[in-house]
Amino acid sequence: MTDTTGMGWRDDPVDGAAMPERSGPYPPTPEMLAEPVPEDVQAAQAERLRRAWKTPTGWRYWTAVNNSEVGLWYTSTAFIFMMLAGILALVMRVQLAVPDNDVLDASRYNQFFTIHGSAMMFLFAVPMFEAISILILPAFLGARDMPFPRLSAYGYWCFLIGGVFVMGSLLFDAAPDAGWFMYPPLATKFSGIGSDIWLLGLSFIEIASIAAAVELIVGVLKCRPPGMRVNVMPLYAWYVLVVGGMILFAFPPLIAGDLLFEMERSFDWPFFDPERGGDPLLWQHLFWIFGHPEVYIIFLPSIAVTAMIIPTAAQRPIVGYSWIVLSAVGTGFLSFGLWVHHMFTTGLPSISLGFFSAASAAVVIPTGVQIFAFLATLMVGRVKMILPMLWIAGGLAIFTAGGLTGIMVAIAPFDWQVHDTYFIVAHLHYTLFGGMVLPVIGGVYYFFPFIRKKHLSERLGRWAFWLIFTGFNITFLPMHLTGLKGMPRRVFTYPGDIGWDWLNMISTLGAFVLAAGFAVFAWDLLRPKGRQGQISRNPWKGGTLEWSHSVPSEPWGSRSIPYVTTRYPIWEQEKLVERMDGGRFYLPDASEETRETLVTTVVDAQPVQIQPVTGPTWITHLAAAFTGGAFIMPTFKLYSLAIASGVLAVACIIYWLWTATARIPPHPRKDAGLGLKLPTYASGASSVGWWGMWITMLGDSTAFASLVFGAFFYWTSSADFPPAGADYASLPWAAAALAGIATSWAATLAARRRNRQGHDARIWLMLAPLLAAGAITALILSVALPDLDPKSHVYPAVLWILVVWNVAHLGAGIVMQLYCLAGLTFGKITPRYDAPMWNTTLYWHFVSVTGLVTAIVVAVLPRMV
Amino acid sequence: MAQEQEYPQEFADEQPSLWRITLGPTIWAIHFLASYAAAAVWCAKGPWGPISDRVLSWGIGIGALVALAAIAWIARGAWRQWNYPDDWDYVHEAATDEDRHEFLGHAAFLLAIVSFIGVIYTALPAIFAGTCL
Repeated sequence: MTDTTGMGWRDDPVDGAAMPERSGPYPPTPEMLAEPVPEDVQAAQAERLRRAWKTPTGWRYWTAVNNSEVGLWYTSTAFIFMMLAGILALVMRVQLAVPDNDVLDASRYNQFFTIHGSAMMFLFAVPMFEAISILILPAFLGARDMPFPRLSAYGYWCFLIGGVFVMGSLLFDAAPDAGWFMYPPLATKFSGIGSDIWLLGLSFIEIASIAAAVELIVGVLKCRPPGMRVNVMPLYAWYVLVVGGMILFAFPPLIAGDLLFEMERSFDWPFFDPERGGDPLLWQHLFWIFGHPEVYIIFLPSIAVTAMIIPTAAQRPIVGYSWIVLSAVGTGFLSFGLWVHHMFTTGLPSISLGFFSAASAAVVIPTGVQIFAFLATLMVGRVKMILPMLWIAGGLAIFTAGGLTGIMVAIAPFDWQVHDTYFIVAHLHYTLFGGMVLPVIGGVYYFFPFIRKKHLSERLGRWAFWLIFTGFNITFLPMHLTGLKGMPRRVFTYPGDIGWDWLNMISTLGAFVLAAGFAVFAWDLLRPKGRQGQISRNPWKGGTLEWSHSVPSEPWGSRSIPYVTTRYPIWEQEKLVERMDGGRFYLPDASEETRETLVTTVVDAQPVQIQPVTGPTWITHLAAAFTGGAFIMPTFKLYSLAIASGVLAVACIIYWLWTATARIPPHPRKDAGLGLKLPTYASGASSVGWWGMWITMLGDSTAFASLVFGAFFYWTSSADFPPAGADYASLPWAAAALAGIATSWAATLAARRRNRQGHDARIWLMLAPLLAAGAITALILSVALPDLDPKSHVYPAVLWILVVWNVAHLGAGIVMQLYCLAGLTFGKITPRYDAPMWNTTLYWHFVSVTGLVTAIVVAVLPRMV
Repeated sequence: MAQEQEYPQEFADEQPSLWRITLGPTIWAIHFLASYAAAAVWCAKGPWGPISDRVLSWGIGIGALVALAAIAWIARGAWRQWNYPDDWDYVHEAATDEDRHEFLGHAAFLLAIVSFIGVIYTALPAIFAGTCL
């Protein structure tokens, strides 16, 4: 398996059915680029493209999957959730304005602060990154769309359903009320249905987040324009890559934690119950392994927006591109070493606290580097204080203040004093407002002409900024003092004689100023702008590809996909926009009036494939609705309905994959423009689907690793794990299960190889699911022992949860094997067009490793300790 | 394709070197996790007392030296890939194989420095707060 051509892996030569190669000149010569396209050809091409990418009209508008529509809905929905969560905060501030107030009772106040925090994190901050990226990343890359548009649409509809479900619970006085981090035992034992709503509703959204992360990573790696090597891609793309990777490693631990939590709530498996060997601290670990990187998952994308605005404001290229890449990647890594600083008061050994204290201080280095690079760019450039820059500057000032208190609370003894007080409330709002809210609003002002082809108001924008900036400081600056004076977080009221009342009154007054600022901003967004007329195409004189957009709007994203050789193509490449408009670059045509985009290699962005892209559909809505049902029904203990809903969701997804992905193309190769002919189908490592699977499974493995971490955690945290005299899982059955998994994996691999060689591989795909089914049976039998009742103690519960995890994955593996079997039978898969076989095999690589680890942890290790 | 084959092999599309820039931080992560896990297990299962604490501190310290040596080795390779004294280029903005190659070296080198400092930070508690108490 060697790759000498840079065109993807070559494996198992295909007998008599060689895959078509790329042919034609690349890179294009200056003469080729200078060659104009005749006017009539241009017009015909534009018409075909317009028809291929036409946005559906009327009620069918909602079937759109194109990044510009989905991104717009996504950002708007996240913004609405943010405003709602902000209103909750305002009501809380009213309650706290004076001592012994009774605007809210304790129960409702608990629901309000829980939903405020949860919504700001899960329904605003993280989705907003994904929403903005879906909306503008393809434009940065000159791409037509994201590689999996229907996946974005599915993610959006999941997000909408889950968000409405969680927020809506407030109306029924049933909202979660145990705080946004849901600590057990409060949340497991004393909370009503709210905790289930939180766990299931948000798990659902987390899955949508991971889907978006997969989409964005593949988008950055495989959908860049030809020539845009990793050293010239926009910094935003670097940040997307880093943040996408962080989501893959940060969200799965929380999903694993949610799974344990819900098993305890629904089926009484005692993961967090100390009386039966469980430990509430495990939840804190899993939550914060997610929760701290989460802060940087929120922060880095906003810094990415900043990195796009600063060069425009300074009218020069960014200073220290390599340093900013260092900063993004370094922060991404170091931010995973901070989670215990939320747990300084839980009694961990001093030396452990020291590690996290040190890492919390070390993360300042990469975080600071990028800010200095921005300042350097501004210093050497000729800065125009455009409105977006005002928001960025305000954001950096507030963020720096939050960073300084961050260093203070990174010191464990200081943290012991202020833990759970308003000092922390002040600190986290300074970091999040400065690090996320203000830069994002700056980004909205900056990108609005690109998104809506209209300008926001300069005057209203300045009003909004100064109201928000001063309101924010009036609200949160006094909270440092309130906290040092000992006021704890999450109290619904306080007595009047301990010196907190005037500080709270100031904060409440400030909150209204802040809210007024948001009202101005919201009005600026919503007010009719019809009289504005047509705006200029590049109003800020930016240098990156999004400013090559069409005004008035066209649905195709990019008229032709440019050959990019610089970091700021509009500034640095001669006649770039004119040539893009003239269809003189790649993919200027849609010969069959179908949606297509260009796929390039990971490092050097050499064009390798024309990728068909999916179009409008209702199937994503159905799939999202049924997925929602599968998550929402268990809240009300409607398990059979939930299972039925889950089965329907899987059916919808299979239908969607079968009808719309990896279809055998009418022409094996097509003209991509500039004399280049590219294949229209790819399988294995050169296809986007394979990358999507690979990245998904990386996240999936992280969730599994978190469960294994749980097993080890129980072993270290309790003196008797496994408890004395407990039965062991059956070794013979575990070995049989492992054998079943290994042979099923081998059969899947054999099927792929045999098919490639042109043989009928169906026998292997009939055998493989049977072996997998045998493995499932054996795995269940290995722990189905009378002494291993998962309700009795956390030890059998841990064994069972690992088995459940494997059973679910083997089940999905069987579905994929049968999908391939059906594909071979009905001619969807041939020796030459075999992408689903590669993706299934890749999945099975992961499943077999998971199975091996499970067999060892379940049946072997307990016998050894 | 003809033009590309004229470039030296070291500049060919180097997928592995995109991963290689994360090697330094990965070593930091491994050392960090190993130190955390060692402390957790040692403090939970090991013998208590000042001697025990010292064993743990020394273990973490030696681990840190190994990690630092590995990062230094990576930094050396990255420095060569960057090849700074060759053309004093630290911008790497051209769309050439050479600039991409040197850019990845430069990024890997900077990340190795951050990781080096990070490992030192992780080792500091073992010196100044090396106790399970």
